[in-house]
Amino acid sequence: MSLFEKFNDLAQSRAGLGDQHVAPVATPIEKVFSATEGQINGQRTILAGTNNYLGLTFNQEVLSAAHAALDEYGSGTTGSRMANGSYHAHQKLEQELADAWGWPAAMVFSTGYQANLATISTLAGKQDYLLLDSDSHASIYDGAKLGQAQTIVFRHNDPANLDRRLTRLGDDAKRALIVVEGLYSMLGDQPPLEAFIEIKRKHGAWLLLDEAHSFGVFGEHGLGLAEARHCMDGIDFVVGTFSKSLAGIGGFCVSPHAELDLLRLAARPYIFTASPSPAVIASTRAALNQVIHGQALRDSLWRNIEQLYSALNQMGYKLGSEQPGPVAAIILPDRESALAHWYGLLEAGVYANLMIPPATPKGLNLLRISLSAAHSPAQVDQMIDAFGRLQAAA
Amino acid sequence: MNTTQQKIRAAIDEAVHASLPELGEVDYNAALTSDIGLDSVQVMDLVMEIEDRLDLSIPIELLAETQTLADLATRLEPLLESN
Repeated sequence: MSLFEKFNDLAQSRAGLGDQHVAPVATPIEKVFSATEGQINGQRTILAGTNNYLGLTFNQEVLSAAHAALDEYGSGTTGSRMANGSYHAHQKLEQELADAWGWPAAMVFSTGYQANLATISTLAGKQDYLLLDSDSHASIYDGAKLGQAQTIVFRHNDPANLDRRLTRLGDDAKRALIVVEGLYSMLGDQPPLEAFIEIKRKHGAWLLLDEAHSFGVFGEHGLGLAEARHCMDGIDFVVGTFSKSLAGIGGFCVSPHAELDLLRLAARPYIFTASPSPAVIASTRAALNQVIHGQALRDSLWRNIEQLYSALNQMGYKLGSEQPGPVAAIILPDRESALAHWYGLLEAGVYANLMIPPATPKGLNLLRISLSAAHSPAQVDQMIDAFGRLQAAA
Repeated sequence: MNTTQQKIRAAIDEAVHASLPELGEVDYNAALTSDIGLDSVQVMDLVMEIEDRLDLSIPIELLAETQTLADLATRLEPLLESN
């Protein structure tokens, strides 16, 4: 009996992906030339699976801010926000995030995963309820597991199903925190946000919106789906990440409730970890400014989205979302064809994400493309050509 | 088997046929993950099917201690009776 025996199924599943020279999961990226190009298996490759939606990882202002902070404040804070890890810049970033939403409270976390872990596990306590969309990201489920609230799952993007569950709670629904995402990262679909808000209000519940994949992409100032749908006043908490449109690593929560600040005293994933490094905070502040004033970047991103979605639809590919967005999830009939597509694209110089069960909803086998504002029309054409050749060869 | 137990068994049978038709006959004593081979997403889909049929919300904490459908049926009894 070994401690590792319980991983046998996982090991078998990984072995089932084959022993080709380039691994389709945790693929080594040997060099990165720009926001959209790197080197994989010795070949120059378009990066089309990196969630780098606005392409800010090589933005000059973002890089300069990081370099300056590294020189001025050193490589790390070496401590928790509750101890020695709260520099002026951490507080400035929180203020800038709060100002962006026009809300009184914002908190910064060391990763996006921890932002969900901290807010969800702490906001909903022992006497409270969590209502989670069934397609929620692992960080949301893990936040529920870390906390002590009773957790109920409702059908993905189904407001009527949520309504029934809140109705069963009766008056207790006023102590229920509903969690939905602005863009679901696997299938790239969006929630019926206005309907969820209506149900939240009907029951006097609370709503947390995870804008990890929608921040930077939607809305006049890039604040996310709630801004684009003009319903920010229906949201109680927005959680987001620095590791996608903001091109760094970290996470945040902003809220119209000033009491969010109290979580600093109670949220274990906030307290018992080192704060983000000065360079990360500086680059994120510079990137935030680019996002807020980044309508031109969003225009480029949406041009690319239209180009790819339109071509894939014309080719007859089944996509995870009817609404175009920065994630294009191509649904393939089985693992073998998903793998064949993944390797076919890589051979054609395009890196995408292979997504297979149990990481995917409904047991789907997906090839997932994430588009960037920094992709040129020619690069999107190359992606489309690669799909065309795969289809012709099938 | 009392009325509540019968109702639960009927709901589970229907839910399994709706969400996992490939399983065929429902084996109440098989472990959902190690014997039947369901992953967490499939278990959640099955639970939501059962919830709809019983008009009941099943907290996911209850699933952490549930190995088989027989376990689940037993744990649903007090929930359904207090509903």
